[in-house]
Amino acid sequence: MIDARVERLAELVISYSLELGEGQIVRIDGFDVASPLAVALYRTALAAGAHPYTNLTLDGLQELLVANGTEEQLAYVSPSQWGEIEAIDAQVTIWSETNTRSFGGLDERRHGALIAAQRKLSNRRWERIAAGELRWCGTLHPTNAHAQDADMSLRDYEAFFFGACHADTPDPAAHWRSLSATLGARAESLAAVRELRILGPDTDLRVGVGGRTWMAADGKYNLPDGEVFTSPVESETEGEIRFTFPAIFGGREVEDVRLRFEGGRVVAAEASRGEPYLRELLDLDGGARVLGEVAFGLNYEIDRFTRNILLDEKIGGTMHLALGAGFAQAGGTNTSALHWDLICDLRAEGEVLADGELVWKDGAFVAPLPVAVGERA
Amino acid sequence: MPDPRVERLAEVAVSYSTAVRPGDLVIVDSGPAGAPLVREIYKRVLAAGGHPLVHISVDATQEALMREGSDAQLGFLSPARVEEIESADVRIVIEADENTRTLAAVEPARQALVKRARKPLGDRLFERSAAGELRWLVTLYPTHAAAQDAGMALADYEDFVYRAGMLDRDDPVSAWREFGERLDRVAAWLDTKDELHVVAEGTDLRLRVGGRRWVPSRGLENFPDGEVFTGPVETSVEGTVRCSFPAAYQGRIVEDVEVRFEGGEVVATEASRGRDFLDEMLAVDDGARRMGEFAFGLNDSITAFTLNTLFDEKIGGTMHFALGKSYPETGGLNGSALHWDLVCDLREGSEVYADGELVYRDGRFLDGLF
Repeated sequence: MIDARVERLAELVISYSLELGEGQIVRIDGFDVASPLAVALYRTALAAGAHPYTNLTLDGLQELLVANGTEEQLAYVSPSQWGEIEAIDAQVTIWSETNTRSFGGLDERRHGALIAAQRKLSNRRWERIAAGELRWCGTLHPTNAHAQDADMSLRDYEAFFFGACHADTPDPAAHWRSLSATLGARAESLAAVRELRILGPDTDLRVGVGGRTWMAADGKYNLPDGEVFTSPVESETEGEIRFTFPAIFGGREVEDVRLRFEGGRVVAAEASRGEPYLRELLDLDGGARVLGEVAFGLNYEIDRFTRNILLDEKIGGTMHLALGAGFAQAGGTNTSALHWDLICDLRAEGEVLADGELVWKDGAFVAPLPVAVGERA
Repeated sequence: MPDPRVERLAEVAVSYSTAVRPGDLVIVDSGPAGAPLVREIYKRVLAAGGHPLVHISVDATQEALMREGSDAQLGFLSPARVEEIESADVRIVIEADENTRTLAAVEPARQALVKRARKPLGDRLFERSAAGELRWLVTLYPTHAAAQDAGMALADYEDFVYRAGMLDRDDPVSAWREFGERLDRVAAWLDTKDELHVVAEGTDLRLRVGGRRWVPSRGLENFPDGEVFTGPVETSVEGTVRCSFPAAYQGRIVEDVEVRFEGGEVVATEASRGRDFLDEMLAVDDGARRMGEFAFGLNDSITAFTLNTLFDEKIGGTMHFALGKSYPETGGLNGSALHWDLVCDLREGSEVYADGELVYRDGRFLDGLF
C-alpha cells in the first residue's frame, strides 16, 4: 500500500520544485530505507518524460570509511561521481537515516576529512545550480530514527513531516505557489534594511545586511521549506546571542550555545554541553567564525524542534544564523568548509528591529504584507 | 553477528576473485537484501586500499521503467553507468532478488528494446575485461526469493550456496586454487580438439571449436564457479539440442526448450512454456540466433537444479550453451545484446565425442581427465 502523501510529495518535488521536463536526466540520491519515496519519484519523473535513475546506497558504509579508511580513501572522489555531476539536469537528495548517531563514536577530524571531500562535489553542484544548469531539491523520507529524535512515534512523525510539506492536502503545489508569493514580498520588504538588531533572552545582536539580497526559500530547494534568508555583511556582526535549541552538526549536539561577536567574528563562545566540539568547529578554518547566513523561519506547520536542520531552521517564529559559508546569490562572500545553522527561538519573547524600527515580535513579523497568505495571522 | 560464511564469501570476492589493489575503484551493485554481504565486501575493499562505491538498486524502479517508460526512456543509458564502465577497476554484482518474477508481466518487446540499448555498456565491460583493464564478478547473496525458486527453505538454500562456493571449508581460497588447476587441465586438453559431437536424449549437436580458446572458470568472474567454456566457430553449429532444465531469464521461465541449428543459426525453436518470449529474445538482433558460448559444468558440489543460471550452468555433469554474445577472450566473434544460457543435463544417457573419439559419458570426462 503506497502512502498517498509519499506520492504527493514526489509529485511536488518533480513538478513544482524541479519543474522537470521531457528528456531531462534526474538522479535520485538516498539510502535504501528511502526507497518508497525514491520509487515514487522515479515513477513521477518517468511520467514527466524525464530520464530518472536512482543512486541509492546503504547507511553505515560511510561510518566504515571514517572508521577504517586511509587519508587517501577519505579524500577520494571517483571520476564517475565527477562525471555524473556534469551530466545530470536535476538531482533529488533524500535525507533518510536509520540511526542519526552512527557517527557518534568516530574520530571527528577524520569525519571532517570525508565531509571536506564531499564538499568538493557539492561545490561544483552549487556552481551548476547558480549557472542555471542544474536543479536540486533536498527532502526527507520519515524513518523511526528521525521520529525518535523528534520524540515521536513514526506515525505521528509522518503526520508532522508531510503536514510541514503540505503533502497531506490534495494540492500541495498550490500552497507552495501561494507561500512563494508571500515570502517573495517579505524578502522584498527587507531589501532596503541596513541593520537588524535581534533582542531576546541573553541576546542583543546587530547584524549588518545592507546591500545584501534577501532570498525566499519557497520549496524549490528544500521540502519542507519556508524561510527568508540572506548572507550578512561579513564584518558587521556585533554583540551577543544565545541559542536555546541544541545546535547539531555531524550528528553531535552542542547545547545552550552563547556567542559574542566583534567586528563580524566570534570572539567568545561557550556551551553548557559540547563546548570542545564547538571550539573545534569554530577553528575549522578562517571563515568558520563569521556568519554566512541570517534567516527568519516562517513555516508555521513546523511548531517544534525535532533535531533535524531541514525542519528546525524553518520553525515558524524562529531565526537562525549560520557560521561559515555564505551564499553568493545573496551577496555573501564568506567561504568556509563549515555551514552550521544555529537556531534561536524567538516565539515566546523576542524582538527584531530593522534600522531601529520594530519588525518582528514574539515569533512573527509585525507589519502585514499586501499578500499575507500562508503566514500566521 | 554475520554468518561466517558471508564473511568468507566477501573475503574470497575481494582478495581472490577480483584481487582488489590499492587505488582501485570498486563498484558494488546489489539489491537491498544483499546488504550484509555488501557491508562485508565494503570493509574488505577498504582494507585492501580500494575505493568502494555502492549502488543499491530497487526492483520497483526497473519494473516501472519497463512497464511505464516511453521508447526514449527505455533506450536511455544512465550517465552513471556509462561513466562507471569507463572508470571502474572492479565491478562486483550481487544478485539478491526479493522476487525473481518482478518483470514477469513486462512485454518481451520492451525488454528487448532495453537489451539493445544497453548493449554498448556490456560490450565495453567485456572489452575492458578482455584487455585486462577491469575485473568483474557476479555472485549471489541467498534470499527467500532464490530459495523459493530452488524449492528450498532459506537455511537449506544458504547451505547449498555456501557449499557450492566451498565456503564451508576453512580455506576456500586454497580450495579454489586447487580446483582451478584441475579446470586448467581440462581447458588445455579441450584446446587441442576441433569438432565436438553431443548425443543425449533429444540432442544431437555438432560444433567446431578448433582455433578457439577454452577458458577455465575458476571463481574469478562468477562465484561460485566451476566450468570450462569457449566460443564455438559461429557458422559451425549443426543439429538439435534439448534443454532438460527450465530456463529463467529476466523474470520469465521457458520450459522444455528445443532448438535446431543450421549453418550456425537457430532455424527452429520449441518450448512447452514461454516460446513467445524465447522467439522475441532471438529476434533482439542478428547475433541472438547464434551460439556465443559452449561449456561444460564441472562443479560437483552443485547437484540440485535451482532455476538460477549462476548455479545451474555449473552443475557437475551438465553442458550449457548461450544464445547471443560470445566472450572475447575465447576468440568468439559473435556480437549480440543477448547472452542467454541454456543448460542441458548430461548426467544420464549422454555421450560426447571429440574429433570422433568418445571423451565424456553420463556427465563425466573419461580416462580420469577430470
